[in-house]
Amino acid sequence: MNVIEIKNLTKTYGKARGISDISFNVEEGEIFGFIGPNGAGKSTTIRTLLSLIYPTSGSATIFGKDTVQFAPEIKKEIGYLPSEVFYYDNMKVKDLLNYSASFYKKDCKKRIKELAEIMDLDLNKKIDDLSLGNKKKVGIVQGLLHEPKLIILDEPTSGLDPLMQQKFFELLEEENRKGATILFSSHILTEVQRLCNRVAIIKEGKIVTVEKISTLKENTYKKFKVETKSTLDPAYFNLKGVNKLETKDNMTSFLFKGNINDVMRKIADIEISNLWIEEPDLEEIFMHYYEKEA
Amino acid sequence: MNILLHELRAYRKSTIIWTISLVAIVALFMSFFPSFTKDTEEFTKLLEGYPAPLREAFGINLDNFFSILGFYCYGLSFVTLCGAIQAMNLGTSIVSKEVREKTADFLLTKPVTRTAVLTNKLLAALISIILTNIVYVAAATLIASQVKTEDFSVSIFILLSLTVFFVQLIFIAIGIIISVIVSKIKSVLTISLATVFAFYFLGMFSATSGDEVKRYLSPFKYFDTAYIIEKSSYETSFLITGAVVIVLAIGASFFIYTKRDIHSV
Repeated sequence: MNVIEIKNLTKTYGKARGISDISFNVEEGEIFGFIGPNGAGKSTTIRTLLSLIYPTSGSATIFGKDTVQFAPEIKKEIGYLPSEVFYYDNMKVKDLLNYSASFYKKDCKKRIKELAEIMDLDLNKKIDDLSLGNKKKVGIVQGLLHEPKLIILDEPTSGLDPLMQQKFFELLEEENRKGATILFSSHILTEVQRLCNRVAIIKEGKIVTVEKISTLKENTYKKFKVETKSTLDPAYFNLKGVNKLETKDNMTSFLFKGNINDVMRKIADIEISNLWIEEPDLEEIFMHYYEKEA
Repeated sequence: MNILLHELRAYRKSTIIWTISLVAIVALFMSFFPSFTKDTEEFTKLLEGYPAPLREAFGINLDNFFSILGFYCYGLSFVTLCGAIQAMNLGTSIVSKEVREKTADFLLTKPVTRTAVLTNKLLAALISIILTNIVYVAAATLIASQVKTEDFSVSIFILLSLTVFFVQLIFIAIGIIISVIVSKIKSVLTISLATVFAFYFLGMFSATSGDEVKRYLSPFKYFDTAYIIEKSSYETSFLITGAVVIVLAIGASFFIYTKRDIHSV
């Protein structure tokens, strides 16, 4: 069953780019990644799903119901965490969470306590006095306290330290095990890779591809940068799967796609002074897609 | 209900401050009354020296200026001005506060309709104004009975005082329509002061020209205090105009707000 179905969704704002003709589905129980660079239309899509903004054309359904027509009803089962969280400053964390809980017709007290404990959040502080990371935690608790069936996250990790990010991901995985569907928007590939089953890649307001993470991974490459003690024969790394090989003084860099052991063996045979292996960033994934299509 | 309570809590401080200010203005003003009446003749001479249009612009009516009701009317115009600013602030911030503090996302992703959000916020503003007026009318009546030199009609006094409330209702409506039309309001006070004073001066000029029709232009002139004192009632045509302005502005606000896009920041 599809929890979210988006059909030819288009939103244009005057001159600024919005989204055009977006279609994809999110199945029940999956963690669905939504990636693209800033300004690609991730937030626009999400805000349309939440009927904060209204589509120019096309439509979307959540739980089989039209997002515009049944907005309040649908939102009972949605937990939303925006990329930037701002809350009524002069409130205490506790009061804000209780206010948030008061919109759902269930008792959320216990869940608030649990979540605050997991996220290490002080409920008695004023929101004013919280750091960005702690505000984010308030946002996380706020989004999950009513145990929603669909969790929508718009670049949720900014401001969280790695430890908290870890806890947050565990929390999401736990919610997912309990049956929640998650739509996770991000521009950071690694976090999407870690969590998601499938991803939709959006660029300039259009969906480039909807793919399983496993497929995407097979198709991606790693960036190698090797610093050697002495100048290296530029042809040394010229093996299958290596691209864009460049040598400058003692520095050799290239892109590699294939069995990583082949490269590591080659590196082990030479005397190196430093080594960098990087995941390609999103932009490079896009390049990859365009190259494939061309 | 939860939104209403939340909004009321948010308005608590400003309601108290505005109420105290309005009472302070009327208290300060009325405290001059005893010494004022002692030198009636000299003051009359002094005021007669001013050109009539100027007197009318400031709402000074020599016929009743030295009765407590007439004197009160003069102070009332300042109270009304302040009350209008309070109301305009409330009205303008109903929608713009959520945008400026970026909390609209929080509220509008909850399972509530936008109509319910706006209704509750409007009700909270209304309750804030009503509380202000209850305290104000009670305090003003009490003060007046303390400084009076002769008996006066309490019912006319209350009729006069209630004009503050009606003017405030109109300004809440004007405020809310402005806040849904202008998508991003940086400073509520700038907008509300500018609007209120624009209408105030418009009212002053329409008073000097003596043209009845021009009175419709400014809510400050919908309630002619001399008429109220004389007839102990309001002018129906202006009451209707006020009601129409309120209904149209609020109706349009609901219509626009439910259709409008809530942009991220």
